[in-house]
Amino acid sequence: MDGRLSNKWRVTVNESKFVESALQSELRVDGRGLYDYRKLTIKFGKEYGSSEVQLGQTHVMAFVTAQLVQPYKDRPNEGSFSIFTEFSPMADPSFEPVHPGESAVELGRIIDRALRESRVVDTESLCVFAGKLVWNLVDAANIAALAALLTFRRPDCTVGGENSQEVIIHPPEEREPLPLIIHHLPIAFTFGFFNKGSILVMDPTVVEEAVMSGRMTVTVNANGDICAIQKPGEEGVNQSVILHCLRLASSRAAATTKIIREAVEAYNRERSSQKVIRHHTLAKSEVLGPIEVV
Amino acid sequence: MEIDREDGRTPNQLRPLACSRNILHRPHGSASWSQGDTKVLAAVYGPKAGTKKNENAEKACFEVIWKPKTGQIGKVEKEYEMIMKRTIQSICVLTVNPNTTTSVIIQVVHDDGSLLPCAINAACAALVDAGIPMKHLAVAICCCLADNGYLVLDPNKLEEKKMTAFAYLVFPNTTLSVLPEGSSVAEGEPVEHGIITSVTHGVMSVDDYFLCVENGRAATASLSAFFRKNFQQSQKDSSKAG
Repeated sequence: MDGRLSNKWRVTVNESKFVESALQSELRVDGRGLYDYRKLTIKFGKEYGSSEVQLGQTHVMAFVTAQLVQPYKDRPNEGSFSIFTEFSPMADPSFEPVHPGESAVELGRIIDRALRESRVVDTESLCVFAGKLVWNLVDAANIAALAALLTFRRPDCTVGGENSQEVIIHPPEEREPLPLIIHHLPIAFTFGFFNKGSILVMDPTVVEEAVMSGRMTVTVNANGDICAIQKPGEEGVNQSVILHCLRLASSRAAATTKIIREAVEAYNRERSSQKVIRHHTLAKSEVLGPIEVV
Repeated sequence: MEIDREDGRTPNQLRPLACSRNILHRPHGSASWSQGDTKVLAAVYGPKAGTKKNENAEKACFEVIWKPKTGQIGKVEKEYEMIMKRTIQSICVLTVNPNTTTSVIIQVVHDDGSLLPCAINAACAALVDAGIPMKHLAVAICCCLADNGYLVLDPNKLEEKKMTAFAYLVFPNTTLSVLPEGSSVAEGEPVEHGIITSVTHGVMSVDDYFLCVENGRAATASLSAFFRKNFQQSQKDSSKAG
């Protein structure tokens, strides 16, 4: 279907010249400073482990699912963790609905590498849907994945049965599902380079992304550790510029971690207050099952 | 004997509806529709040049892409896509933009029963938001049959599992007209009594099916009123802003 390619959005020459000349005088098209981040909002869905993150006009949704499977033979005590990324055609009409393009795979890999450090004990599979808009998906997707993981609860299971070899999975109504053990929160920041690396921009928008000559994604956590760096070719930049990026990223990491944690706290509080009022009061109906007051 | 539903609704009562349009920046039309906990997001990319190979080039073509919440796309999703495509083709005016393709993308955010009707309603709202010319709206509802023979509208996931049979029905919306015989008549019956789409699962008798259709049609009146109110409200807001 070549119809899809002909409908792809392309930056016009006027737009790219405008963006570049604005950057020369340290102005960005949407009025932000060079190192300003867009507004971040985190929302959670009805189920455990679903989140939607909005970074400016970029929307990313993430869902976490878990399955019990056989562990790898050389690592019997560890579970595994995999990430699937999908770009929905909702975000851009040129995305193929089924086949993940290169950028989708790259995005998945960046998040995967960043999150592997937070080791989790049981098996998980994490689906990240990047949808709605293509303005700097990496940062938003990373935050969505983290938010989803933080709020995910896996069902409690005990070893029992006849030979004490069977594992019984308790449905959430019987036993409270357990949260995942997350060691630290790696946050990704994307930088764009313009004009042979002399101009540096943080959190580029889709127009800036189309115009910029190089990019770099740095993943840091609030402790100041660098978890991952990705610089996929393109323009070469000076070492001092890279160090500058790292410093900027680590100074922002604490603030973003705080936003994520606060959102998760608020969500957990709301969730536990909802549990107390689980059943509607009807004159005739019976209340099913015990209500646990936490 | 009245059947007791878990969330306290009467058999003919729908879940709380919520619709918001123009939520996404890039698609030409977008809408989010939720019935209770079931939430679906729809986006429309307006007429693009060219039709697919097997399609009639004299008319406008629609393609539907259904994205489930998790997992790969399988036969169920393909079936939904086909049903939605045929429904949309029957409500839209196909002769206005010949040799074009309009894409409708559906993303399931949460499935708590009655998913396909929710998606059809969301797609309608998104098409209106995009300004695609349509003859009338498609209003969709799910009716199901419990084992004691009672009919229940708009089930949630738990209720759906207990039912013996259910039907997804899509009707044209009810018209509001100044003239007493305003609604267009086709062969002696008003147009709004027609059924656009009907998908059934499970076994039900013919009488039960007609009962479903009756109840469903009655419910479309309140759904149409909701659509109308929702669209008029946003019109007033945009005219104030403009």
